[in-house]
Amino acid sequence: MSPSCMLSIPLMSVMPVMPVMAATSMALLQNALIVGAILFALGLIGILTRRNLIVMFLSAELMLQGISVSLVAWSRHHGDWGGQVLVIFVLTVAACEAAVALVFVLQAFARTGRLDAAAWQSLRESNIARSVDHELPASDAVAQVWPQLSPAGILPEADADETLEREHV
Amino acid sequence: MQSLSPSTLLVLVPLLPLVGAILTLLLGRLLGSRAHLPAIVGIAAAAGAALTLLVSTAGLVGSPHGGHAEPVRPVEMISTLWQWATVADAYTPAAGSPAAIPGTVIGGPTAGGTEARAFSIPVTLRLDPLTATMLTIITFVGLLVAIYSVGYMHDDPGYPRFFALVSMFVFSMALLVAASNFLIVYVFWEAVGACSYLLIGFWFRKPEAARAAKKAFLVNRIGDFGLAIATFLLWMTYGTLDFHDTLSADGTILPGILGQTRLADAAGIVGGTVGTAICLLLLLAACGKSAQLPLHVWLPDAMEGPTPASALIHAATMVTAGIYLIARSAPLFVACPEALTAVSIVGATTALVAALIATVQNDLKRVLAYSTISQLGYMFASLGTGTMLGFTAAIFHLVTHAFFKALLFLGAGSVMHSMGGVIDMRRFGGLRRIMPITAATFLVGSLALAGVAPFAGFFSKDEILATLHSKGWPSAHAEHHDAAPAAAGHASLEGHGQTVASLASSMAANSQTGRPTARPAALQSAGVTADGGGTLDRPGTWQILFWMALVTAGLTAFYTFRAVFMTFTGPTRVPDEAGHHAHESPPMMTLPLVILAVPSALIGWWLFSTNWLAHFLSATPSFTAPSVAKTAVPHVFHMDLAIQGSLAAAIGIVIAAIGHLGRRSDAPQMERFLGPLQTIFANKFYFDQIYAALVVRPLEALAMLAALIDRYLIDGTVNLVARIPVFFGGWARQLQSGLLQRYALAGVLGTLLIVLALASRLR
Amino acid sequence: MNPALPELSPGMLLAGAVTAAAASLWLLLPRGSESRAASRLGLLLGALALAGFIATGRRLGGIGEEAVFLIVSLVAVVSGAATIVTRSPVYSAIWFALALFGVAGVLLVLGAQFLGVATVVVYAGAILVMFLFVLMLAQPAGLASYDRVSSEPLLSAVAGAVLLGLLTLSIGRLSAEPAACCAVPARSAMLASDAATAADSGATPAAPAAAGAVVADILAADHVARLGGELFGRHLLAVEVAGVLLLVSLIGAIAVVTRGEAALEADRRESLGRAVR
Repeated sequence: MSPSCMLSIPLMSVMPVMPVMAATSMALLQNALIVGAILFALGLIGILTRRNLIVMFLSAELMLQGISVSLVAWSRHHGDWGGQVLVIFVLTVAACEAAVALVFVLQAFARTGRLDAAAWQSLRESNIARSVDHELPASDAVAQVWPQLSPAGILPEADADETLEREHV
Repeated sequence: MQSLSPSTLLVLVPLLPLVGAILTLLLGRLLGSRAHLPAIVGIAAAAGAALTLLVSTAGLVGSPHGGHAEPVRPVEMISTLWQWATVADAYTPAAGSPAAIPGTVIGGPTAGGTEARAFSIPVTLRLDPLTATMLTIITFVGLLVAIYSVGYMHDDPGYPRFFALVSMFVFSMALLVAASNFLIVYVFWEAVGACSYLLIGFWFRKPEAARAAKKAFLVNRIGDFGLAIATFLLWMTYGTLDFHDTLSADGTILPGILGQTRLADAAGIVGGTVGTAICLLLLLAACGKSAQLPLHVWLPDAMEGPTPASALIHAATMVTAGIYLIARSAPLFVACPEALTAVSIVGATTALVAALIATVQNDLKRVLAYSTISQLGYMFASLGTGTMLGFTAAIFHLVTHAFFKALLFLGAGSVMHSMGGVIDMRRFGGLRRIMPITAATFLVGSLALAGVAPFAGFFSKDEILATLHSKGWPSAHAEHHDAAPAAAGHASLEGHGQTVASLASSMAANSQTGRPTARPAALQSAGVTADGGGTLDRPGTWQILFWMALVTAGLTAFYTFRAVFMTFTGPTRVPDEAGHHAHESPPMMTLPLVILAVPSALIGWWLFSTNWLAHFLSATPSFTAPSVAKTAVPHVFHMDLAIQGSLAAAIGIVIAAIGHLGRRSDAPQMERFLGPLQTIFANKFYFDQIYAALVVRPLEALAMLAALIDRYLIDGTVNLVARIPVFFGGWARQLQSGLLQRYALAGVLGTLLIVLALASRLR
Repeated sequence: MNPALPELSPGMLLAGAVTAAAASLWLLLPRGSESRAASRLGLLLGALALAGFIATGRRLGGIGEEAVFLIVSLVAVVSGAATIVTRSPVYSAIWFALALFGVAGVLLVLGAQFLGVATVVVYAGAILVMFLFVLMLAQPAGLASYDRVSSEPLLSAVAGAVLLGLLTLSIGRLSAEPAACCAVPARSAMLASDAATAADSGATPAAPAAAGAVVADILAADHVARLGGELFGRHLLAVEVAGVLLLVSLIGAIAVVTRGEAALEADRRESLGRAVR
């Protein structure tokens, strides 16, 4: 970066706000873009790491917020309505996406009883072992006391995957 | 009928049964118990057409009583329906090859030069005395068998199917004998084989029947293979597959293999190695279809089929296709004396071996099956003599045999029908009291088969014995025939002529040799065989064959009457399975028996005394070839041979009577009489076991080896090749974890890589 | 600039901030083992990263505006980070709501009043409530195992850092190359004048003056009315399409729910039959 971008430039503070000069506009743009980029990166990391489907969607919305900030910043910088109009459409599409995606999430939950993105790993190749979360500490597990009933008859054989998936249901 | 031309009738003979078969197949369920109607009407109409053709052909040939000096002109009518296949310029004969006959014959230029010619398969029907005779036999016996089947098969669930198959068989067989091209013959040779297969396996839910059908089919394949190779060789040698000469559009004549152009030319027929190979391959084909010695094993098993089918296909008609083929190819065989002798040796050996086996069979249909093999062997022995008398005697025996063997089979079927499907003779006895018509007609058939004068078999068998005798003792016959005209019929049955065959005329047709017509043919025949030079083809061989035939005659009489005595005489015994069926068969079944009994009794006498058949057949183009025609001898009755034959038959009948007449039929007479031989005969000379050891087991071992190679070597190699991509793909498969966030991460990282690469380039 | 680090150039500072942010996130993300020291270190690194970002940020016109921008952007970023590192999804959602308020503030600072309000109303008021409803329907009691672990946190943090580094680098280069930053307003001025031809009535767009004019247009007092005019004038067709999209997604969601119920029922019956067998 050139020295003019450094923090020690004092003249910006004395310039009037309303007739926005190019340098001030540029500073606002850059700051807003940085905020947008950070939000976008946070959303990306969230989507890549968090296993909960709902949190993944929240992260996606976070990315959309980053985009919205960038669009509005550019709109302000160029004095173009296009950026803001586009954000309105982003809002619309996000609403649609949330509606449809949440329906799918609910369906998935009804099938597996979990909101885990890794619950659908039966799509993997047959020669790959099932991915299991090993490093869960026992201390954090909820000490649940189940009622002890004497069996009323022959129960269906338990599926290994099923017990794993129904751990906390 | 008069409004129909012969060519139309010739087409109708096969066409009507075909239409009947198709109608039966289409309407079978609709017609129900009347499903026999289309088939019977079709075959009956075909029989009428065939009879009309026979009469009209006979009119062309002329009466045997007519002028002796007139040459017997070949009578044939060719009717080309359409061209099946044509390949232009398929064959260019080398100069001097038999396909390129030079010169002029019958007043026109021949196209037998060395120019390229097309491979064309015309669908052509022919009519000549041989075909007319065969057609009449096929349709007539087929009609009677169909009528009989109405009673025999009446409650069978496959009733329509049976009649459709019989009709289809008549169609195929009629075209087999009417075709005028080796390839068409081959096609219908296979077609009759297929019909035979389907009829043997008619009760395909019965495992034995299915296996018997398969066995018949496989054994026949060997013979069919011979016919196929023979057809290839014929094409390579002659450049055509037609029997007849073809008049092309430009007026030239393309000589067929058995056409008059070629037959008139002494060099037209190929002898030597190629000719012998062709003839031996044709013999192989005939052995397969006619159940001769190496390939006879299928016929006894074929008795698993319905009895009417056995009567029609495996006694009267289809098994004579081999006889027909060799008779049709007579000029080819005559050019190859070794092949001819082989035909006779095969025939006589088969006759003897089959007769020996028949003596110990306890199953009535099996006895008749081996008898059929034996009688076909007789015909082969006769064909192998290569003389006019031999050929005509074989066809003569074919005709009489068709009648009396069909009669015997239908009689056996009648017995089987009323005995509740039991056919073991040891469980019968005195059935003449229960079923008098069957017994009487069966006796007529047995007398004919045993060769008792004056029944049909006597005359035809006598002619065959005479043929063999004339080859074994040629000089004696020459004297005999020279003396015959002077001795004014002391041995003839009728005063008007021992010499009916037209030796002189046929010799006159032989313009190339130009030999004097008066010269006795038998001498020439002997001469031909002498300079044929084959080591086997000498009188000694023929003497042995004659004695084999004579012994066979005695054995035939023995086993025939053994069967008669066991079944119809003695104390009345009826197997339990018979139930309420133990009575005479319905009229629908006895009527064909009675009808067949008439020719079985009389036709031999009539045909022999008038010499009608021999004269009629001698006009067949194949028999007018000079090499065949010159062997014609005057028609005489050989009293000494007749006495020998009758004596043999009488001895056989007497032994059978001693052993079985009036006794319980399950008494072990044969075992006591034959001792260890009985074991050999009862096991059919171990043919099946030998084939299993020599052919089936090695083939199975080979197949096992091939299977192992296929499974481990070839499949192993292929699987190895297939494992390479699987191996490398296994690595790539590790990427497919099924965890969607890994996929997303991979997408993001890939996008970042691309962005970094682009950014570095922009900078 | 931090006086303790006088030699640090802004580029290196930014790189350090990005790295610290990534490390902080890696430490804070759920990784199964809950270590207090790790989370403290993560928080510390996060604070350092924020400080780095603030330090490299550019001064705005007035101290008030600067403070407002700083606060709202800090709210947005910190809440965003908390959204993705919080174990409980309900807390995630609430943190996300807070992040939305921060974003709305940033939008207000940027002069997009309507969008700021709309974000709060639509997102926080509607969409987020929907999320919470779904969570209420689907969330199992307690912390689920999958909320306590992350998928590939290190690689994801690295990827995010690389992305952020690339973005900040290119954002910084905007002012480093004046030619680039001057060319763009000229082009956008033409586009803007094309859009508002009636209002500007043939004013020739000289680059800096025109830029000031259009920005003034964006920031005019009747901002919402102008945005509405723009939306229903120039982008009318897109609005219609967006309406259709909303309708389709509504129908689609209902269809999936109803069909899905039937399929689920069949699925349950089948598995029941399998168990009985």
